[in-house]
Amino acid sequence: MNSQSQRRKNFKIEAFKHKVELDPKYAERTWKVLEHAIHEIYNNNASRLSFEELYRSAYNMVLHKYGDKLYSGLVATMTAHLNKIAKSVESAQGGLFLEKLNHKWADHNKALQMIRDILMYMDRSYVPTSHKTPVHELGLNLWSDHIIHSPNIQARLQDTLLDLVQRERTGDVINRGLMRNITKMLMDLGSSVYQDDFEKPFLDVSACFYSGESQQFIECCDCGSYLKKAERRLNEEMERVSHYLDAKTEVKITSVVEREMIANHMQRLVHMDNSGLVNMLIDDKYDDLSRMYSLFKRVPEGLSTIRDVMTSYLRERGRVLVTDTERLKDPVEFVQCLLNEKDKHDKIISTAFNNDKTFQNALNSSFEYFINLNNRSPEFISLYLDDKLRKGLKGASEEEVEVVLDKVMMLFRYLQEKDVFEKYYKQHLAKRLLSGKTVSDDAERSMIVKLKTECGYQFTSKLEGMFTDMKTSEDTMLDFYAKQSAELGDGPTLAVQILTTGSWPTQPTAACNLPPEILTVCEKFRTYYLGTHSGRRLTWQTNMGTADIKATFGKGHKHELNVSTYQMCVLMLFNSADGLTYREIEQATEVPALDLKRCLQSLACVKGKNVLRKEPMSKDISEEDVFYFNDKFTSKFVKVKIGTVVAQKESEPEKQETRQRVEEDRKPQIEAAIVRIMKSRRVLDHNSIVAEVTKQLQSRFLPNPVVIKKRIESLIEREFLERDKADRKLYRYLA
Amino acid sequence: MRRSSNRKSSSASAAAGSGSTKAASKEFEKIDHLFNVYADKSSAIIDPEGIEQLCSSLEVDYTDVRILMLAWKMKAQKQGFFTLEEWRTGLKALRADSMSKLKKALPELDKEVSRPTDFLDFYSYAFRYCLTEDKQKCIDIESACQLLSLVLGTQFGPQVDKFTEYLKSQSEYKVMNMDQWMGFYRFCNEIPFPSLENYDSDLAWPLILDNFVEWFRENQK
Repeated sequence: MNSQSQRRKNFKIEAFKHKVELDPKYAERTWKVLEHAIHEIYNNNASRLSFEELYRSAYNMVLHKYGDKLYSGLVATMTAHLNKIAKSVESAQGGLFLEKLNHKWADHNKALQMIRDILMYMDRSYVPTSHKTPVHELGLNLWSDHIIHSPNIQARLQDTLLDLVQRERTGDVINRGLMRNITKMLMDLGSSVYQDDFEKPFLDVSACFYSGESQQFIECCDCGSYLKKAERRLNEEMERVSHYLDAKTEVKITSVVEREMIANHMQRLVHMDNSGLVNMLIDDKYDDLSRMYSLFKRVPEGLSTIRDVMTSYLRERGRVLVTDTERLKDPVEFVQCLLNEKDKHDKIISTAFNNDKTFQNALNSSFEYFINLNNRSPEFISLYLDDKLRKGLKGASEEEVEVVLDKVMMLFRYLQEKDVFEKYYKQHLAKRLLSGKTVSDDAERSMIVKLKTECGYQFTSKLEGMFTDMKTSEDTMLDFYAKQSAELGDGPTLAVQILTTGSWPTQPTAACNLPPEILTVCEKFRTYYLGTHSGRRLTWQTNMGTADIKATFGKGHKHELNVSTYQMCVLMLFNSADGLTYREIEQATEVPALDLKRCLQSLACVKGKNVLRKEPMSKDISEEDVFYFNDKFTSKFVKVKIGTVVAQKESEPEKQETRQRVEEDRKPQIEAAIVRIMKSRRVLDHNSIVAEVTKQLQSRFLPNPVVIKKRIESLIEREFLERDKADRKLYRYLA
Repeated sequence: MRRSSNRKSSSASAAAGSGSTKAASKEFEKIDHLFNVYADKSSAIIDPEGIEQLCSSLEVDYTDVRILMLAWKMKAQKQGFFTLEEWRTGLKALRADSMSKLKKALPELDKEVSRPTDFLDFYSYAFRYCLTEDKQKCIDIESACQLLSLVLGTQFGPQVDKFTEYLKSQSEYKVMNMDQWMGFYRFCNEIPFPSLENYDSDLAWPLILDNFVEWFRENQK
């Protein structure tokens, strides 16, 4: 080494350049030692061995390139031992078979551990370079090959395991700990061993078992009991897995149970006579329904099956409800019925169906479907509200009121013809306001707010106008009396409600002849009002007013009668005559015939309110009748109410008339929509116009495509639109 | 879109020769002469009476469709009247300046009208011709039926028969407008009759035709 070289060399110690051969005999001897050790280990005599010596022996063998011999020796030795063990296990009788196997397995593992420790150097250096299986794994594989897959053991093992499971399923108690050990053993041997030797056959056998059992149950059980049994089995299987099977088996076995017990019998269960889904719904069987829900949720199409059956049941039930002519005689009852149905099913969905949104939607769509089957639904809902606001909610707390109104709003949302509802609501509200018969102003206003939130300002602006009119009228009256009290003196006390024409439902005004006393004070009011509000026109609505009259009957009985304006006009006539014919009354009052007949009927033919006497005493009013002041009238009440302007279900002709008005009102709305759409799109085809118009108007009503077409043609005639010259399906907007 | 321009017949042009140039009057001499044969002496317009005479000279019936065709050729504005201007227009186009030439021109006119492009124009003209009042947009059903037979009777006889039958039997429509009139012609051309197989009421056919098809199908059963 040239110490003067530029690079400094590291000082090296080199190994022997010549091979050190181990004496082959030495190798053989060393192997024998190890072999003997393995024997001892397997014979549970390991305590006498020296770990250090054995380790060193193995180390030397590998070091001196005798790894092959060591390894193959190991294989041979282990194999020999395992074959012995196999025979031992095979010979075990009956129940002891598994125990023996388990015992031997534990032993083997212990042995393997020790062997691995001894041969650790080989495991780390020889094994990887020669691409051999590591010792531990080798030990497992050999166990698999020679024990588990031994022809006399393999089938027996499988059968034994499956038999135990079967017995447990039929009620026996088995040794779960042992089972666990065995299945764990199989898992340790490799998941394919576990799967092939146990899991697959287990699943197949289970499928058969449950297929049979489910068939048996379904023949003899009702739906509820069957579901209970299925749930029990399902829980049982899950518990089984947790106790002695591999966790990954859980999902597989549960899907077997689900398939066999539930999925395969879904239709039959749901439609079972007397106990199926529909019966559960009718009888509010929350537990059963809840169970069905959670079980069916596990299988494909399960929930949709329940949902579909529920939907068709609801639709049918609803359809029957809304077409039941008996029930339809009482609108308030009818709506209450609908509300009850809604409540009932809401409860079912929240209690048993976990508030599942898809079910809620199904419920909503069913209600929407059948409520609109009856085209009087809007009217009836308004009548229901009228009843509640008039008297039904008397004494209710604010929260109770809100609850009722919110529920009715839910029904309102289902209506397709909201504009019809609006018309009736307006009429009924008008009657309530004018007769002063509303339970609470707050409740009324709350309802308006809800309608406004739902439908927008347009819907409620007129309704709010009605309230404003009432308030303004109050103020006007106070002012009137303040200014005019001197002049009015002893005249009748007048209370006027001034209604703005646009806001209130249009009524055909039929003037009648007011009694002179009334006329005077009315005129005074008119003068006063027009003095402060020039440019306005006042028309007396004699068909909507009321009057309180003091009447003295025979024997000095005094009563205060609350009557309608028409009735007042009739009664006042009897101040100057004791008896009058129908024609005389008609002539004097000029009340229209239909109203007059109704009026006279309520004055003469109703028990307890017959302030007039009629000859002849028949129920109906004919033009030949004669009326007399009924001197003999008595009532235990001082104040007697005769005239009421209560909201009622419309008669057939009235209904036709209202509907016609609604149809008329819809025409300009449709036209406005068409023009709006065409103005922005310029050119559009027929079907698109129909779709757009429907969409725009759907919050109020559902327009009829034929009506839309007619409106389009009308617009063409009036030159708002034209047909495209080239493509006849298109319409063009004309500026 | 806009109807043809105002229908008040111009009377000024009727004054024989006073406003026209010498050259023009020479050209139209014979035509004008023929005009004066039928025109009313005071108003200088051919009125219904004059037309009746014209018809007998032509040896056609007053109600014959060829008179309508003649009116179309003249672009006559007012039903039952021909002005000098209109007369000149028509006869010049027909290259006729005598009665015999005019008679001969009629069959040619018939053929001309039958050409699809011309027929469409003629067809809509026929409708407008019947709108006698200012701002009138519809003709009553009775007249519409007659007009349909006159104008379409030869070409689409079966359809016209059925449609007029329907129109007479229903009471919803009392008049017909231009849109419906044109729609029917389209209907005859596009929809096979009596099968009506490709008629789709979802398309933009006028409602009156939807109702007609429904009525027709009902009656077939």
